[in-house]
Amino acid sequence: MLIERLTEALGADAVKTSPEDLACYSFDAYSQGVLPSAVVLPTSAAQVSAVVKIARDLGEPLIARGSGTGLCGGATPLRAGIVLSFARMNQLLELDIENRRARVAPGLVNLQLSERIASTGYFYAPDPASQRASTIGGNIGTNAGGPHCLAYGTTVNHVLALEMIDDRGECFTTAVDDLGYDLTALLVGSEGTLGIVTSAWVRLLRLPPATGVWLAAFPSIESASEAVSAIVGAGIVPTALEMMDATIVRAVESAYAAGYPEDAAAVLLVESSGEPEEVASADAAIARIARAHGATKWQAATSAEQRDALWRGRKGAAGAVGRIAPNYYTQDVCVPRTRLPEMLAAVDDAARRHEIVVGNVFHAGDGNLHPLLLYDKRDARQVAAVIETGNIVLARAVELGGTISGEHGVGIEKRNGMSLVYRTEDLAAMACVRDVFDPQALLNPEKIFPSGISCREMRT
Amino acid sequence: MPRDANVNDIAISDALAEATARRRSVALRAGGVFAGMHRSVLDADEIDLRARRAVLEYEPRDLTIAVECGATVAQIEQLLRERRQFLPLDAPDAVRASVGGVLATAWNGPRRHRYGRPRDLLIGSAFALANGTLARAGGMVVKNVAGYDLSRLFVGSMGTLAVLLRANFKALPLPECTRMFLASLPAGTRARAFAQVRNLRPEPAAAWWIGGFAHEIDGDPGDDGRIAILMECDGALLERATLDWRAALGRAGIPETRLLDAGAHAAFSRLLDAPMQLPGAHAVTYRSPSLPSNALALADAVAGVIDRFELQCDLLVDIMNGDVTVRAGGNAAGFAQMIGMLDDALHDLAPRARILAGGGDAHDRLDCFGLLPNALSRMRALKQRFDPHGILNPGVAFFDGGHT
Repeated sequence: MLIERLTEALGADAVKTSPEDLACYSFDAYSQGVLPSAVVLPTSAAQVSAVVKIARDLGEPLIARGSGTGLCGGATPLRAGIVLSFARMNQLLELDIENRRARVAPGLVNLQLSERIASTGYFYAPDPASQRASTIGGNIGTNAGGPHCLAYGTTVNHVLALEMIDDRGECFTTAVDDLGYDLTALLVGSEGTLGIVTSAWVRLLRLPPATGVWLAAFPSIESASEAVSAIVGAGIVPTALEMMDATIVRAVESAYAAGYPEDAAAVLLVESSGEPEEVASADAAIARIARAHGATKWQAATSAEQRDALWRGRKGAAGAVGRIAPNYYTQDVCVPRTRLPEMLAAVDDAARRHEIVVGNVFHAGDGNLHPLLLYDKRDARQVAAVIETGNIVLARAVELGGTISGEHGVGIEKRNGMSLVYRTEDLAAMACVRDVFDPQALLNPEKIFPSGISCREMRT
Repeated sequence: MPRDANVNDIAISDALAEATARRRSVALRAGGVFAGMHRSVLDADEIDLRARRAVLEYEPRDLTIAVECGATVAQIEQLLRERRQFLPLDAPDAVRASVGGVLATAWNGPRRHRYGRPRDLLIGSAFALANGTLARAGGMVVKNVAGYDLSRLFVGSMGTLAVLLRANFKALPLPECTRMFLASLPAGTRARAFAQVRNLRPEPAAAWWIGGFAHEIDGDPGDDGRIAILMECDGALLERATLDWRAALGRAGIPETRLLDAGAHAAFSRLLDAPMQLPGAHAVTYRSPSLPSNALALADAVAGVIDRFELQCDLLVDIMNGDVTVRAGGNAAGFAQMIGMLDDALHDLAPRARILAGGGDAHDRLDCFGLLPNALSRMRALKQRFDPHGILNPGVAFFDGGHT
């Protein structure tokens, strides 16, 4: 019945049911789930609406999916259901340079938007490391960040309006200038649990006239962390302020020869954009602070090629650790910037105690850490050690006033971690929102919330 | 009766639980600066939040600050300025305007294209629900995607969804230099000026075209109105950027530009304050969002309507964001009847125009909000779930179905 109705609504070409196809959509970058009942590839909001109505009739869960690059299992089906792939809704629908905005379909790949409008002198700021593959719809689902959100903010700061399909298959719209509750901000980051995005107006920024990229080498990760706090504390917010430890630097150099000093215990990759005078000021001020905190090297990228090479190393860091270990697990926590040294010490301590190798590559300016826990999944001891280390990292981040996810989302992975950050009352308030938007829990069920949390605590 | 002004979280929680149990309405009160932007609450116990103005956490090295929602915008500005930081809430009457008021009304200032909206700077909150439950969302970190962003959901809620107790913000480094550019526009230069300002580098922190507001806003009226542009930048950039801006304005046919340095901040404050100031009881101010490319045409059309009614018209166009603010006023004896027709005519042209301030309870008599949001039914469902007995600020808006 399900397949027949989907085929009738979308056409046979848009409904995938072969075991091979279903297998491709049974996992994302985090984990393996179960085979969905069907995969559909709609081409319009009307088709998305039709799919939702069918799913509702038949009680089938719906999982919206971009490119499946999510690291928390947000697009993984847990109990069959229909996976909605936006691979065919990937258009740049409208470009309105005069008003600095673009309307995009959810399946448009993040980087393609900036590439396609580069000649206009504008760009789309959110730049998750996955931006070559991840879609803007997926980025909206997780409120994705990236290195440059230090200066520009995360995805929520760049979404102007949304067109959504709700749990009944009805279309509704929200916009940042709407009166009333800020539903746009609520929907961004809701991981596909409150509705399905079918198009979005996003904000475009003017390309800066000047950009400087520098690399600073430090004798210890602590001194690099202190430098980060000092830079921000001095009132300097670069466009990006990224840190890599020795493990990552060696892996990156081995893979890309990006020009990182392999004898450094930590390096900072700093970018500043703006008018030439502003970039020059940032260069002088940040170099002074870096040296005051023990930097052994301060090197400017003197050409676009050098700049690209330094960034290529940073953005390819996760891939480069494949040279060290067959598997890695990326953790994502965020702490107040001044607590970075303590947090890094805690990561190091937990890794040592559990005898695993850790590489740190992260958005230091935001206090957003990404310890890469390296392991071999064929070794049960290492797998257990990674899980335990990850849990310690989450708990310590919360103890330091931080949170369990800075930019990857909750998905399946961190459902139980939510109780570390929030009390039952806090989670119940969120559950009530879920209950209003999707009382039957058809949309991406069993994500975000720990078991046992419901809206009933709020009933009066 | 007003409750104790020094109420703490527990007292507010208790008061709300009691109000819900007794089905008594509660009216939230703070600075009152934004009172003209929503309808009045009738027959309700008042919870006065003005004394809840403590700074709860401030770590300058983290660029984060947490305040009670009764804290005034000026109070926070002063504290942050001491550490060369700022929070661009851009509220009018900052001495009285509360942080809670800014968030409850989703006040959006002219610097939002550069620094973000107040909600973009909001990173966490604590709140009391209608049944007295104390809860929180977000935290004190600048990136946080753990769960739904309830803090931002409450922005624009006009106190109808919860009582916001605490707001956590990310602060920004204070720009080294602030300079206000004022220029009168010769006849026929307005459109060109508008285009030049939109493309200035460095980008203005804020920019307006002004028609009228002669007593409230700096600058001499020109044949085509006047402009005010705020530069906020690095000290090393100031003089070169000034030359560039003047050259760009010159290309638009504007021969002279007056600069304010020491007085820039005060002039900026007057621009923020002007829309909320009424010359008398016979005046009302509206603001309509618009695309920047449509803003001048909308302003002209609105001015034409007000002219038809033979009323005084003051206009303020936010060049970078597109907001059109218009104040209509007069002394006519029939103003009360006339303003009703004007309200209809304005909303025909600018359906999303909302009232900012008005004499004679304009916010209760006229179409206070303009076009209601497409997602209204979802907002009402949220209201029903979070405040099922409708005790929080009943009637101030459209969430409880009282106004359509």
